[in-house]
Amino acid sequence: MPERNSLADLDQAAWEDLVARFDGRMWAVARAFGLSAADAADAVQGAWLKMVERADTIRDPGAVGAWLVTTTRHEAARLSRRARGETPADADVPEAAAPDPAAAVVDADFGRQVWARLDLLGEPCRSLIRLWVLHPEARYAQIAVRLDVPVGSIGPTRARCMARLRALVEEEAGS
Amino acid sequence: MRDEYLLAALRMGAGADPVPGRVSAAARAAFALRLPGGVAADEVAVAVPPGARSADLPRQGADGSAGPRLGAAEAAPDAPGFHRFTAAGLTIDVEASVVEGRLEVAGQISPWPGPDARVEVRTPHVGKVRSPSGSGHFAVSGLPPGWVSVVCHRPGLPPVFTRWVHVRP
Repeated sequence: MPERNSLADLDQAAWEDLVARFDGRMWAVARAFGLSAADAADAVQGAWLKMVERADTIRDPGAVGAWLVTTTRHEAARLSRRARGETPADADVPEAAAPDPAAAVVDADFGRQVWARLDLLGEPCRSLIRLWVLHPEARYAQIAVRLDVPVGSIGPTRARCMARLRALVEEEAGS
Repeated sequence: MRDEYLLAALRMGAGADPVPGRVSAAARAAFALRLPGGVAADEVAVAVPPGARSADLPRQGADGSAGPRLGAAEAAPDAPGFHRFTAAGLTIDVEASVVEGRLEVAGQISPWPGPDARVEVRTPHVGKVRSPSGSGHFAVSGLPPGWVSVVCHRPGLPPVFTRWVHVRP
């Protein structure tokens, strides 16, 4: 897509380019929150609708992907709290998300690299993260049955495994 | 690095859960919802005195004057699903709820936008147009739940649209 000074002059074709480039990443982020397919669809659509409203206010067209992914994360976080029965304060969801540069990691190639690192973690991290990634809606009780571990250990183990995986990935990125 | 981003990357790398075609189609179709030249009305907080009953609340007009009192069936600031938006001298009150699986939207434009004004209640897939009543009220039912926005069209003036509101049962 040609570089643009503003997103205000987007046409339908340029818009569809954006959809093709980013909707898979937006969907993956929404689902990573454990949202159902219906809620994830609402989160992704909410981000596009905010884009429709604000295209002319996004100053840096180069950051539009990060903006879309960040906005999807905000919407997904709100819907996730709602799905858990919490009352989300609208103030928690900024109307205009500042693009988060960290969103750049949401990418299939990067994901395949992380899968390769996952094997270095050993068990139970490998199986737990694999289950969690592929079944984001799974309850701790279901994961506990699959891994044959106490349900109370799933949360702490998951946090420990993710911290180790993050460290591996960041070490890789820094080396 | 956020766990959600790492998980999302892993999900994409696994290729197990691609974005559904209908989600992509809705994203492509969203472009047609732009209102070039329109004025966005931002949501404003509505102060409701604790314990106040909605029917007792004076409604504040855009000029700061107290307007007519609300009837029980009309948009009430303390009701769940109530939102107030303002822009370009207009206040758009919107109360949205899901009844038997369908979205119902009632609201009021103030001050009265004139006899030729039209209120459009939009979802991403379908919109309905109403002429507001003499007191600026409007109501629409039978829409699909999800995202909704209200647009006030006035002859010779740019349309004023509310931010999109998410409404699910």
